[in-house]
Amino acid sequence: MSRNTTETSRRSFLQRAGGATVATASVTSLAGCGGDGGDGGDGGDGSNGSNGSDGGDTTSLRYGRGAHSSTLDPQNTTSGEVAKVTNQAYEGLIAFQPGEASLTESLATDWSLDGDSVTLTLREGVSFHDGSEFTADDFIATYRRFVDDDYEYHFEDASVYGPFTLGNWIDSIEAPSDYELSITLTQTYAPFLRNLAMFAAVVISQDAIEGDTNLGEEMVGTGPFQLETLDDANNRIRLTAFDDYWGEAPNVDEVLFLTRGQNSTRAQSLVEEELDIIDGLDPDSMQIIEGSDTAENRTATGINIGYMAFNLSRVEAFRDRRVRRAISYAIDTQAIVENIYSGIATQADQPIPPALFGHNDDISPYEYDPDQAQSLLEEAGYGDGFSFSLTTFQNPRGYNPAPLPTAETIRSNLSEVGIEVSIDDRQFSDYLTYTSQGSHDATLAGWYTDNADPDNFCYVLLHPQTDVPEGQDWVSWDTEGFNTSNNAAWSNSEYMSVVEEAQRTTNQEERAELYREAAQIAHDEAPWVFIDYADEVRGVSNGVSNYTVAAIGGPYLDAVELE
Amino acid sequence: MVSKRFVLKRLLMLFPVLFGVATVVFAILHLSPGDPAVVIAGERASQEFVNQVRADLGLDDPLWQQYVRFLGEVATFDFGQSYQVNRGAEVSQILADRLPITIELALLGQLAGLLFGLPLGILSAVKQDTWTDHLTRIGALSGISIPIYWSGPLLILLFAQFLGLLPTSGRIGSEYFVEPVTGLILVDTLLAGNIAAFRSAVIHLLLPVIVLGIYQMALLSRMMRSSMVEVIRQDYMRTARAKGQGSKITVMKHGLRNAFIPVITVIGIQFGSLLGGAVLTETVFEINGIGTLLVDAINRSDYPVVQGTVLVFAVLYTLVNLGVDLTYSVLDPRIEQ
Repeated sequence: MSRNTTETSRRSFLQRAGGATVATASVTSLAGCGGDGGDGGDGGDGSNGSNGSDGGDTTSLRYGRGAHSSTLDPQNTTSGEVAKVTNQAYEGLIAFQPGEASLTESLATDWSLDGDSVTLTLREGVSFHDGSEFTADDFIATYRRFVDDDYEYHFEDASVYGPFTLGNWIDSIEAPSDYELSITLTQTYAPFLRNLAMFAAVVISQDAIEGDTNLGEEMVGTGPFQLETLDDANNRIRLTAFDDYWGEAPNVDEVLFLTRGQNSTRAQSLVEEELDIIDGLDPDSMQIIEGSDTAENRTATGINIGYMAFNLSRVEAFRDRRVRRAISYAIDTQAIVENIYSGIATQADQPIPPALFGHNDDISPYEYDPDQAQSLLEEAGYGDGFSFSLTTFQNPRGYNPAPLPTAETIRSNLSEVGIEVSIDDRQFSDYLTYTSQGSHDATLAGWYTDNADPDNFCYVLLHPQTDVPEGQDWVSWDTEGFNTSNNAAWSNSEYMSVVEEAQRTTNQEERAELYREAAQIAHDEAPWVFIDYADEVRGVSNGVSNYTVAAIGGPYLDAVELE
Repeated sequence: MVSKRFVLKRLLMLFPVLFGVATVVFAILHLSPGDPAVVIAGERASQEFVNQVRADLGLDDPLWQQYVRFLGEVATFDFGQSYQVNRGAEVSQILADRLPITIELALLGQLAGLLFGLPLGILSAVKQDTWTDHLTRIGALSGISIPIYWSGPLLILLFAQFLGLLPTSGRIGSEYFVEPVTGLILVDTLLAGNIAAFRSAVIHLLLPVIVLGIYQMALLSRMMRSSMVEVIRQDYMRTARAKGQGSKITVMKHGLRNAFIPVITVIGIQFGSLLGGAVLTETVFEINGIGTLLVDAINRSDYPVVQGTVLVFAVLYTLVNLGVDLTYSVLDPRIEQ
């Protein structure tokens, strides 16, 4: 039996078990309709509307993306592609304000973080898609499935987000009542509330966890949309509005997640009104949309960074900050951002992106200055240059839409100051393996935020998270417990203590000040060449209104209206 | 008549073939760079977490142990669960879902090739050295020379982008959801009695089938022509004509049967390349068969899916060849000897 079939039978079951509120007349329909018509090359001729059993007035929002979901289980992935779908059906205790990095209510209506103690008041009268009522026990079951080996229903294939977001920080968790949660942390950890807003920390129905539901293929959350069809054979997913949703009902009846692997094909489908919203755009596909009168590009500031990391553990020259600063001056990052990433990124100057609190506005990017670079190199004793290999992935990533041209520019810039760069480009899985072993001299890399907290950049990417030798600002890759996400192997003690203090500081303004300080140190010490912060770009059909481009937590499709 | 012994012998040959293919796939995967545990654990994972994943998957066992385990899986046709492409799903289930998609495409491509290639080849042979013959041969030569990754995008540009007549990707319009019964979209839409969905599927499959069919058509018409030309010159054809039979009957009754033998060989061998062509066609037209599955799995170091897919390809190829051998041992019983 295919997954498509499984889904339909699951819905039939839900209809019987969940009562009238869950079952709707439209769910048995196998053929919906493209509500806003105009499906051009699909061979549709306007008769499609009559295929729906609900009279043909279904409004259907078609969201186009580059890849299909590899699972529907938010605890089994670190993929943003999966999160786009699970975010429609599941909700966390806390949410991100659409289009902002700030937090807002979701399944919790009130919360406080005091030292190592977190208390949350939960929303009452919330139903899961399976008809069960949401209580504190659902969150506890969700948490235990994710990280607790002793729990009978512990999920063995849980992703690294288990320990990363919850497991490493939660010491104990209790439910004083059905609608209260009391969490004790292992230490004061200021970003914790933001972790609760991450897609991986969404609440799953306890009944589903402890029953025989296959959560890789089914979603049992409290979100505004519920799963209707998972069609792996055609790379698409259909969600329908959940009638019992506690919040404002979605403005569309159904959402279709459709896959168009090629960026240009996706953009063309949008322009031809076969899709309503698309993501994953590059400069070329943005041009297709710009030239049309049916859709437009919309951008928002992203919460990410693209950079080149020096591996201090491996290359001795990089342990001299003058060399790192020299290379930062020698690479024309402005040209890379303007010419190669044409218009979809801004030049970076510190590890914290501008959309986050703690970003230091007083810092500006290293200016392209080969003379300054040359004199710094001479001062450091590398006036005659040296050579290193630059590892890069081959495929475009959001923060680096053109890795090979970027690497070529770096090679050409550095040859002007006598440094010989050989480019070592690798397929992504090979790149991940190679750099995680610390085999690179220097590497192009990047990061998308998990929880919109500066700690997610400063601690995760530049803190060694292990003991380091005194008076040495780098750490050997082989050190026990070393954080391999710190692909520069940088361990500046001043920076480390500021970032650790910021983790323990719950006052927002004091934290921001600490991060500004950390950003300044990172800028001056230059363990990375800061390259860019990429924009979030979406192609949006003219018929779509009320859609907010969000760098985290989205896409927010329940608010979208279709003409 | 085909003897049971012949079929049995050929079926037994499957085992060494599968063993060889399995060994080669295993070796290539384990020699190629990229650690699946790192890919599964993701960029966020600590070394400790990666080690845990590696241990869970048995990827830290000695290579020979992994090999023996893998051969056991091959023997039972149970390739375990997908690492990445469809996390946690059984590979056999994924293949069962995807295989019909590729088979449908390959069969339609083959059908298109046969429908147009054979008559063109016969026509070309009968009208040897006329304008019809020259035109057909030029067309066939072009068809063989144009690779799918070029003809595909070109046809997309023409029919989808400029003329706006046909869709560029997928097998069916996004608004149609049909219960998968056979996995063959044309059959399933008909079984569901949904004519609009059937029409949408036909329109979606048109370009991919043309792209796949062009090469088949070209190759078959060339083979058919040369085989036919040779047969027409044979003594028994002259004798038949001398006995007063009309030229059409001679061609159909005596010529075709004999001319078909080499053509059928080509059809069989080409079905393998048709599967290969389906991989390219699926990629160009974003059709989700085992071709795109294989590419996706390779890119994501999904060992179980790669292994399963390649072995299914091998089995299919071998079975089709067996089918071909059986067919021409019917046409010419001497071959069986």
